[in-house]
Amino acid sequence: MPFEREINRLLIGLLITFGVVALAAAYWAVAGADTILQRDDNPRRVLAEAAIGRGGIYDRNETLLVTSIPQQNGSVQREYRVPAAYSALGYYSFTYGVGGAEAAYNTILRGDDLSTSLSEIFTDQLLHRPQQGSDVQLTFDVNVQTTLADAMDGQRGAAILLSIPSGDVIGMLSLPTFDPNQLDATWEQLITDPGNPFFARALQGRYQPGAVLQTPLIAAALLVDQPIDDPLENAAAAYLLNELTLTCAVRLPDVSLTLREAYSFACPSAFAQLIESLEIDVVQATFDTFQIENIPVLEGFVAPLDAAAPTAIPFQWTTTNFRANALGQGDQTVTPLMMAMIAAAIVNDGNTPQPHALIGVRPPTSDVWQPIINARPTIPITTSGTARRLQDLMRGAVANGAAQNAGRPNLDIGGHAALAYSGDSTLAWFVGFATLGGSDALAIAVVLEDSDDPGLAADIGGAALEAAAHSARDRTVRSN
Amino acid sequence: MSIDGLLRARGLNSEVSVVAVTERRLLVLGAAFLLVNTLSLTLVRSSPQDWLHFAAWLIYAFVGHVLLRLRLPTRDPILFPLAMTMTGWGVILISRLEPAFADRQVIWHLIAFIVMFAFAWTKTLLRLMRRYRYLLLVSGLSALALTILIGVNPSDLDGLYGAPALWIALGSFYVQPSEALKLILVVFLASYLAEQYPALRAEGLSNPRTRFSLSPRILGPILLMWGVSMVVLIWQRDLGTAILFFLVFLVLLYIASGYTPLLVFGALMIMVAGLLAYQLFDVVRLRIDIWLNPWLEADGRAYQVVQSLMAFAAGGVIGQGVGQGVPYFIPVAHSDFIFASLAEEWGLIGVISVIALQTIFAVRGLRIAMQQRGKPFQTLVAVGLCAILIFQTLLIMGGVLKLIPLTGVTLPFFSYGGSSLVVTFAITGILLRLSAGET
Repeated sequence: MPFEREINRLLIGLLITFGVVALAAAYWAVAGADTILQRDDNPRRVLAEAAIGRGGIYDRNETLLVTSIPQQNGSVQREYRVPAAYSALGYYSFTYGVGGAEAAYNTILRGDDLSTSLSEIFTDQLLHRPQQGSDVQLTFDVNVQTTLADAMDGQRGAAILLSIPSGDVIGMLSLPTFDPNQLDATWEQLITDPGNPFFARALQGRYQPGAVLQTPLIAAALLVDQPIDDPLENAAAAYLLNELTLTCAVRLPDVSLTLREAYSFACPSAFAQLIESLEIDVVQATFDTFQIENIPVLEGFVAPLDAAAPTAIPFQWTTTNFRANALGQGDQTVTPLMMAMIAAAIVNDGNTPQPHALIGVRPPTSDVWQPIINARPTIPITTSGTARRLQDLMRGAVANGAAQNAGRPNLDIGGHAALAYSGDSTLAWFVGFATLGGSDALAIAVVLEDSDDPGLAADIGGAALEAAAHSARDRTVRSN
Repeated sequence: MSIDGLLRARGLNSEVSVVAVTERRLLVLGAAFLLVNTLSLTLVRSSPQDWLHFAAWLIYAFVGHVLLRLRLPTRDPILFPLAMTMTGWGVILISRLEPAFADRQVIWHLIAFIVMFAFAWTKTLLRLMRRYRYLLLVSGLSALALTILIGVNPSDLDGLYGAPALWIALGSFYVQPSEALKLILVVFLASYLAEQYPALRAEGLSNPRTRFSLSPRILGPILLMWGVSMVVLIWQRDLGTAILFFLVFLVLLYIASGYTPLLVFGALMIMVAGLLAYQLFDVVRLRIDIWLNPWLEADGRAYQVVQSLMAFAAGGVIGQGVGQGVPYFIPVAHSDFIFASLAEEWGLIGVISVIALQTIFAVRGLRIAMQQRGKPFQTLVAVGLCAILIFQTLLIMGGVLKLIPLTGVTLPFFSYGGSSLVVTFAITGILLRLSAGET
């Protein structure tokens, strides 16, 4: 047979070559698979991402706020059910990512944190089950959210309400906001909106404090036993600070007032006189203990851009900036969360609980909520004695001062309504609390941008505190 | 008289029954595989068409088995079941990727089936091809030349994308002359070399004094084939067919002459042609560039290759399951890249199965070639036909796996394409006839 040797060689060559092809296939299917599948341009990743069944988001009363609706094409559409909670919940978009609570608990909602057995992974892959995330239960109360949203309708600003002693964030609102259900359609418009609707003002808004800093100032006076009931001349008069005219929260005749009364009406002249009599170190130390320089963070939520920056230069008190800063018109800024925490400390014997927003997690395979234990310690910012005296001063401001609008029948509310000046506009503040019996209480901070009406801020605060108190009472009744 | 009675009368009883039983069992095995996959596909997306395709396959398999038993009782029992199983698998894949094309493929399967029997039934066709080899070659080359003038690409009828126009339109069907030319060339070369091989061997390719003085007897055909290949490449920009022609020719010449350095010489010629083509032709430059580094242009010119590799990775070992992967991200997944689509849904297990099926087919074909003792033409035809399938399979598998630059050829039996399927089944028919010793 003349060709046998050559055909045999061809056969061997054929077998070797097919073997090499099989090895190459094995390389891409097994050894090199992970690298190539992790590439950003792998469209399979995009499909898998779009098919993830994100967990639902519930409020503290188990009202469903956000859910995932499976679509015919295998993707999942997020549905936000409560407009009043939009700004607190943030957004999930397949195209634009996540924000707000959706970002804070993204890992849990996606199910990335769930440990799965090898057999479950195998079964899921075999049956092409999309990844399922856990439900989360947040501290928000939909009734409080709705009350806040209704009360602040048409305003620009922020409000945040904390439960004491737990530190639960009961309500949180930043305005203007956006409809996360329409995010993909409105994204371009939203990112160029001068109102910056994506900005979580309640957590990250760095506002001029103005007269709202009279609370730590009067605390400093109490600490050094300064009399607060002695009349002060021209206490109600406007005060000129570096070409800026500061006034009381409400228009008053030019009369003498005690420091207590001046606090009730948030009058700057009386506090300017107080500053003259206080040592710079005393004021600085009081502000330090009140944590004015530390921007607080709601656990999981995005921190303010410069809050944790290690290169940030600590604020320096000098004789030249002392007066302006102590009156809240210097470089020092505060966030609504920070002011709510100060109110929380005042109503909680001088200790502020660290805020949190997550109560429980429910894995996709379970019907039972697994509670999240909040083990973070409270932060002492003043003595219990000073805290009680500050409570009384704030109750006085609601009873007879600028914060009268916050008062609600049958509810023990204290608060401080004040003005701050920022550029050409004014800000209206309300910082207050409500006691609920025992150690239970509520603390709130409201800020309205471009507003000279602290009474409105107080009214919003009072409404929110009342709604939260009702909810708390209902919960107590239900649990009993 | 029954078939068995007829065969008994011919005195072929025991061998015949072994062949028949083996072929029947393999066909049942193939049917079972296709049944399971059709069922799986139906569970994913209910489509009555898939069951019609399966029913057609059963009819083809049954009729084919009965006719082969009758006509070629001592045939190779493995080739027909292999061809049928691979084609059926291909139809399932095409149906899953481009449902509209699957019906056409089933019709093409019928035509291919008839052509296979035309070659298996009578020795006349192969004899006629041998006798009129020059006429056929000229006709084949003319048809090829015709595509240069009036050729179209079914996927790019308006010529918007500059895709190679390798087809001639016949109504709503498209015929690719280069596919038929493969067959014609093998018969032509086998016929030529069967006559020339004693002289080639005697003339002393193994003689130390003359082995490097390539005579016109050798050099002529080499240059002719190299020229034909280059014409195909230059005029049609059909890199795959050009390389395939040359490789098949090289193998046949090697088998005929027994002169091993020819393979080295041929490889050098391919490299020289490749370097020249790299400089001269954009299509070749593109293929080589994206072969060397597809990741730079993963979203651009190398998209197809990168998506192909991703399909292999996504398939892993056991695959995503039929109808459950996303191989439609690979452009032309149902044709040149059907191997990658298969990898995603059947995984490495499926890939190795396909490699094994193609290898077994080729090994059986070469075994048939070796059985043609004293019949050099038949031997060379069998080797040449096997070489077509082997190189076509290796070129496309190597291309989608980034082992070699991509060449646009179909995966035999699997890819969508009527001309390719008809020629593949014609090859099967010829091999079946040769295996039965009926020439």
